[in-house]
Amino acid sequence: MTVHTAAPEVRIRDLTVVYKTPAGELPAVRGVDLTLAPGTITGVVGESGSGKSTLALSLLNAVQPPGRIAAGSVEIDGLGDVLTLWGEDLRRARGRQVGYVFQAAQNSLNPLKTIGKQLLDLGRSHDVADLRALVRDAKDLLARMGMDGARVLDSYQHELSGGMRQRVGIMLALVLNAKVVVLDEPTTALDMITQATILRIIREVHEERALTTLVITHDVGAVAEVADSLAVMYGGRVVEHGPVTEVLGNARHPYTQGLIRAIPRLSGDLSLARALPGRPPTLGTLPGQGCVFRERCERRMEVCETDDPLPVNRDGRMVACHAADRHLTLVERKEFV
Amino acid sequence: MTHAVPGRPRLGAVARRVGGHLVRGLAMIWVVATISFVIIREIPGNPVMGQYESLIQKGMSPEQAERATAVLYGFMPTGNLWQQYVGYMGSLLHLDLGRSLSTPGVEVTTLIGHAARWTVLPVLAGTLLSFLLGVTMGVYAAIKRSGKLGDALALSGSLLHGVPVYVIGLLMTAIFATLWPIMPSGGPVDVEFVPGFNAGYIGSLIHHAVLPVVTYTLASYGGWILAMKSNVVAVLGDDFILAAELRGLRRGFVFRYLARNAILPLFTILALSIGMLFGGSIFIEEIFNYPGLGLLLVNSISSRDYALMGGTFLVITVGIVVANIIADLLYTVIDPRVRSGGAA
Repeated sequence: MTVHTAAPEVRIRDLTVVYKTPAGELPAVRGVDLTLAPGTITGVVGESGSGKSTLALSLLNAVQPPGRIAAGSVEIDGLGDVLTLWGEDLRRARGRQVGYVFQAAQNSLNPLKTIGKQLLDLGRSHDVADLRALVRDAKDLLARMGMDGARVLDSYQHELSGGMRQRVGIMLALVLNAKVVVLDEPTTALDMITQATILRIIREVHEERALTTLVITHDVGAVAEVADSLAVMYGGRVVEHGPVTEVLGNARHPYTQGLIRAIPRLSGDLSLARALPGRPPTLGTLPGQGCVFRERCERRMEVCETDDPLPVNRDGRMVACHAADRHLTLVERKEFV
Repeated sequence: MTHAVPGRPRLGAVARRVGGHLVRGLAMIWVVATISFVIIREIPGNPVMGQYESLIQKGMSPEQAERATAVLYGFMPTGNLWQQYVGYMGSLLHLDLGRSLSTPGVEVTTLIGHAARWTVLPVLAGTLLSFLLGVTMGVYAAIKRSGKLGDALALSGSLLHGVPVYVIGLLMTAIFATLWPIMPSGGPVDVEFVPGFNAGYIGSLIHHAVLPVVTYTLASYGGWILAMKSNVVAVLGDDFILAAELRGLRRGFVFRYLARNAILPLFTILALSIGMLFGGSIFIEEIFNYPGLGLLLVNSISSRDYALMGGTFLVITVGIVVANIIADLLYTVIDPRVRSGGAA
């Protein structure tokens, strides 16, 4: 059906996104380095306001005012630095090279046009010569997601359920054969069964089409199911990044540890789930210096007040924490076992 | 209804819908006709009986007076209320609205027919022009809302919206008919032309219509631009517009998505204002001396011409009811969410 070229690599370097507020420009994403390995699914988790969605929009150079990308680069193989794209070039890259499944994709469709007509608008916008083939591809994709393609294309948004609209959103992101796909909260506001279906579809289509995928979510359970690697964001920083099983199985950053402790288990005592104390910082309450997480951290040290922990890479994992660093050093010196 | 088969309107459903509207519309017209009958019959000083009695005082026989009054009002002044009501409704069915008092002997329908011509031309043209202008400028005001152009447009809307139509009208005549007389100061057409489809007559019609149309356009433009601006701003904040941009849709498509969604609520208002048009525009007709429906209504009130008054009210009612029906049906064409029965 499609030509399977190699999946591209995405390199986010030193990305800083600021939002204009009455108190000046405040960073929602600060100095983020993140590499999406070709052909993998990277999950990004974090609380509301941690900068996840802003990060996702940056991949399309689509940060909305009053936000502004202040520094950094987003290199995508075969496309170059997205942040230097502008005008028509940027428009063509969106949809064609980078597919985006919108947060609350239930509302991502024009209520006055059938899905089919919106598909044709998409095709014409990207100069698709063979619109019949485009419709055929769309029907195939919809069928893969368990829907009657012809019927869906002939429907208006209000004639579809939330899960169906979500799948239509995924179809529109994939139908032009984008090799990089960004999914912003793809399963939020869906019931458990639909969530499981959508996650399975993401995984399947990802493997079938050899994509490089970024999944943004606040649902650690969802990300554990689909992602190969996991990045944890807090206060606009990536505080930990590594293979998903290792990050979840052996978290090094106290914030990741807290997140995992907060997940209620299906079996066992519910009271074992412990919420992180305190609140996530907002743009206005982000500390100006030192570690962004220190206010809520149980392993806070003196150095955390003054020095921003630098990301440290060790055996394929990245952690930005003074305590985790120390812990590791101690382990290595066998003073702490 | 979420999982129902995508609903295209079937012929039967459409017929049912139109039928339902017609029945409701007729019921509405009947209610207004009844109320206007009761008012004319029960108004202090009872104009019908007053007319009847004054005719007797002038020396007519009661039978003659009764017939003369019946011709005027469409129903017998004597007899019980029920008989009068049946008589009135009967003549209504024959489109007989009675005869005018102030223009003796002329049928109300004839007067209304003549006046309607002079109303429909300037008011309809003004309504459509102001709608087109206001909607277009509203879109720009919304898109450029953080710039100077947007500010200026929105301000023009607020200012014009706040100025009463008669002030605009008087300014227009003062400037373009008195200070710089390039336009006729009033009247619908120059008398020297033979009415008909000839260049002189039509040219004169248009020449005379310019000031009233411009006045009406300026007076209603403010409302449209402000309404359209706020609609566009609301739709701009909708997720599907950002989603369309993130899918790389051409600006033209995004703009159409935006405009069509924003203009939707305005269509109802447009249809209703076209219905209101049969009420005429009293100030504009007065200032520019257009013998339209608004002026007719004012004159009928000041001369206590109750038959004409009742007839004019009825025409306004029918206009609004019909416009409502058209607005409703139009909505089912332009908004698919209404078409399938309003689910989701």
